Amino acid sequence: MRFQDAARDARAVVYAGIQADPLVARLATLAADATYGQRLMARAVMNGESTDPATWRTIFPTVLGPDAPDLGRAEAILAAGLEVAERGEQVRSQFRGAFVESLAQVLVARRAGGAAVRRERRVLFDGVAAEIHPYDLTVETAGREEAWDCKWGARGINADVLNQLDDARRHAVGEERALRVGLIVFDMRTSCAVRLSQQTAPRTGTAVVTLETLDALAGRKAAPG
Amino acid sequence: MPDETAGDLLATALAGLALLAELGETIEDEWTYVTKLAEMGRARLRAAVPDPGARVSPATAAAIEALAGEAGRIADPHRAIDWLSTFPAVAELALGGFPAGPPPRSPTAGT
Repeated sequence: MRFQDAARDARAVVYAGIQADPLVARLATLAADATYGQRLMARAVMNGESTDPATWRTIFPTVLGPDAPDLGRAEAILAAGLEVAERGEQVRSQFRGAFVESLAQVLVARRAGGAAVRRERRVLFDGVAAEIHPYDLTVETAGREEAWDCKWGARGINADVLNQLDDARRHAVGEERALRVGLIVFDMRTSCAVRLSQQTAPRTGTAVVTLETLDALAGRKAAPG
Repeated sequence: MPDETAGDLLATALAGLALLAELGETIEDEWTYVTKLAEMGRARLRAAVPDPGARVSPATAAAIEALAGEAGRIADPHRAIDWLSTFPAVAELALGGFPAGPPPRSPTAGT
């Protein structure tokens, strides 16, 4: 089992520009230390129609109200989320995907170390054709390798991604190696469970991290609220 | 608004959820997902209001009204499905609830 940079096609070059946008990194840094409520607010704002901050302060009184804990972070997340929401639909969608990848990278790096965490990498096995799509995130520490795919919403869970992850895990076993594989979904646990219940692709060896459990990526328990 | 009860807010939230479900169901390929999500959303909202006769704070009432209003502004069915996933959790938070389900699990096994 070995890791390799994915060749960039035209779509990947365009998307790399989105990934490198400072707004993506700002949001990810803010969300990495956010509470459950703050992350839920970020998801709602980036998926919402309203771009008036007053509307969101009304909808989230326990997150954005005057007595809310860590109000400065919540307001910064609101401002950054609205910057994403104000983009056109297609760009907004790309920003949201890049945000989840960046957030996952920050969190996983806290557990695995920044140098071990890579983006857009393929996992190659002897005698096995390389998958078309690279993994969003890999951990390349010898003996503790991981491959993750990141999704903005539960609707991104499909047979293709489940099969790719499970194939990689099984191929690693075939080389007498262990590869932890999983999905990181910035959506609710219940929605992911419903989505997974509709799938027949193998998933018992695939971890699923949801908006409620993101902190587990960093090796810590979720912050309340 | 000062006389609103938790039950009134539940009705408002359920109506907002129904709007999203109706719009989301127009994506035929997602009909099963949408109906199941709506069913679970209704259950989650009802669970967040154990006492429908209880008085609620003005901030909570305003939050649920604004949330339902936001749901009503959604015109794109794909975005409605995304909102259908988020809406019950946002309402639950406004109603003073916490994320449902067991404590966070370690990412070592499938959901």
